[in-house]
Amino acid sequence: MNEYIGIAVSFVLAGGIAAAMVALGSTLGKKNPTSEKLAPFECGNEPFSLPMGRLAIKFYLTAILFILFDVELVFLYPWAVVYRALGSVGLVEMGVFLGVLMVGFVYAWDNGALKWQ
Amino acid sequence: MVRSMSDLALLVPELILAGMALALILAARRIQETPVAVIGTVLASMAAALASGWVLSWGAKTGFGGMITVDGYSQFFKVLIAATLALAALLSERSLDGEQVPRAEYHALLLLASTGMMLAVSSRDLVPLWLGLELMTLCSYILVGIRVERPASNEAAIKYFLLGSFASAVLVYGISLTYGVTGTTDFAGIASVLSKHGSGSNLLLLAAIGLVAAGLAFKIAAVPMHAWAPDAYQGASAPVAAFLAAGSKAVGLAALGRVCLAVFGSEARVFSVILAVLAGLSIVVGSILALSQTDMKRLLAYSSIAHAGYALLGLIAGTAEGASATMTYAFFYVFMTLGTFGVVAALGERGEKLDGYRGLAAQRPGIALLMLLFLMSLTGIPPTAGFAAKFVVILSAVRAGHIALAVLAVACSVVSAFFYMRVAVLMYMNAPKEPAPSRFPGPVFAALAVAALVTLIGGISPGSLAPWTAPP
Repeated sequence: MNEYIGIAVSFVLAGGIAAAMVALGSTLGKKNPTSEKLAPFECGNEPFSLPMGRLAIKFYLTAILFILFDVELVFLYPWAVVYRALGSVGLVEMGVFLGVLMVGFVYAWDNGALKWQ
Repeated sequence: MVRSMSDLALLVPELILAGMALALILAARRIQETPVAVIGTVLASMAAALASGWVLSWGAKTGFGGMITVDGYSQFFKVLIAATLALAALLSERSLDGEQVPRAEYHALLLLASTGMMLAVSSRDLVPLWLGLELMTLCSYILVGIRVERPASNEAAIKYFLLGSFASAVLVYGISLTYGVTGTTDFAGIASVLSKHGSGSNLLLLAAIGLVAAGLAFKIAAVPMHAWAPDAYQGASAPVAAFLAAGSKAVGLAALGRVCLAVFGSEARVFSVILAVLAGLSIVVGSILALSQTDMKRLLAYSSIAHAGYALLGLIAGTAEGASATMTYAFFYVFMTLGTFGVVAALGERGEKLDGYRGLAAQRPGIALLMLLFLMSLTGIPPTAGFAAKFVVILSAVRAGHIALAVLAVACSVVSAFFYMRVAVLMYMNAPKEPAPSRFPGPVFAALAVAALVTLIGGISPGSLAPWTAPP
């Protein structure tokens, strides 16, 4: 349990400092509210909006296709590390795996997922 | 990692189905308006069924480090899955014509779902079992919502997806607890750890058993994990509903049977209490809620819930004979439910509502007779397969000492006669209100004929299946 004491201390310290700042600010600080000031601060973004905004479906398709290559890479890294131990069987297996992934990519390409119009 | 080619040989049926699915996906744009997809699917299913027998002919064995097994039990269900796939593909011909459904993708999804089913029934480890079930369910979500222009279909897919992913999480949580208690996911390994130490009052193990049973009960739509079935069946097209009702249920029962006998065999008392509650609730709730339905697919959904309960009666005993009874039930249930849904699918929009069956006998006597046969089988009236199937599972429940449950099952059978025979009354004793349905396409008729033949043969000589129902 000893190794958790440090974490507990930092939790208490961080929470205490944050709480003290909020408490001091709200008791000692001047209050001169405007509607701008009262809005939640979110780095200039609109903090709250209804999900009415439209987004082209093309971005979604591109993102999905990206995941295909992402998954491929996730498997290629550990495979490369143990490549020598796996030998030629490993090469064939990875070839089959990439082939199956590429079937999906070819399907999307064939059906016009890469046409940007 | 593949240790030798003989490991891969165990998966030949799965590889055939997956290979055909990939070929259909590659060629999708070129074969959309042709019957290539349905022919390829039916051929692949036949090849897979033959291959599963061929693989078993070298003797039962395991591969992939003991994860995959080929035995009589898995072969029985693989043939059943292949038959479900072929009949569902043939039955889809009519309903695909009228809808904006891409044919190649539709059949590829059916093939991939069946691949997952086959993988699940030949698993000897909890991880590939879960993987196979997940492949099946993921494809099913898309199949339910594949009629994208219909709001009801989208709604059904979303509901099925949300409940289904929750059930998958429950199952995987049960698997992780099992691993935590026993230190292995291998079926034989879990069984040997449990039989050595005994469970006694291990609460974690009880939770694991309960969660695994609940996750698998979702796949067979047993009460109280049944809520998805009526909505999913109603929103899906009739052939997809048939595929779900027949395939998902058979695989869920196969997995429950293996888990119940081969994994938690030493905990048979706990498991049999869980299964008895599931079975009793499913039979009662399914039969009673079906009474008030006016939508044919919802009615059949509640009927499938009740049938899940009947099928579980065999497993309650926790014996090899009980498992064989459930296998018999699953086999005959698949064909009679595919037949019923097949007639619904072939009638198109008219088949969706109960009122659409008014006067069908006067307009199409042959179709009405087929429907009557399937309905009699679902009720359990001799000389149909439904009677033989109900007989063996209720007998198994009586032998296990669950007299009250057996009486309940028989009583609910009588209740179910009311709503099944109401359709028959509408067909035979009412005047037609709608124009006669057009002729059924050849493939649909062939599928209905096969289903009717199995239903009849099963009723006339119920013992013909006995050599094949090898328990796990």
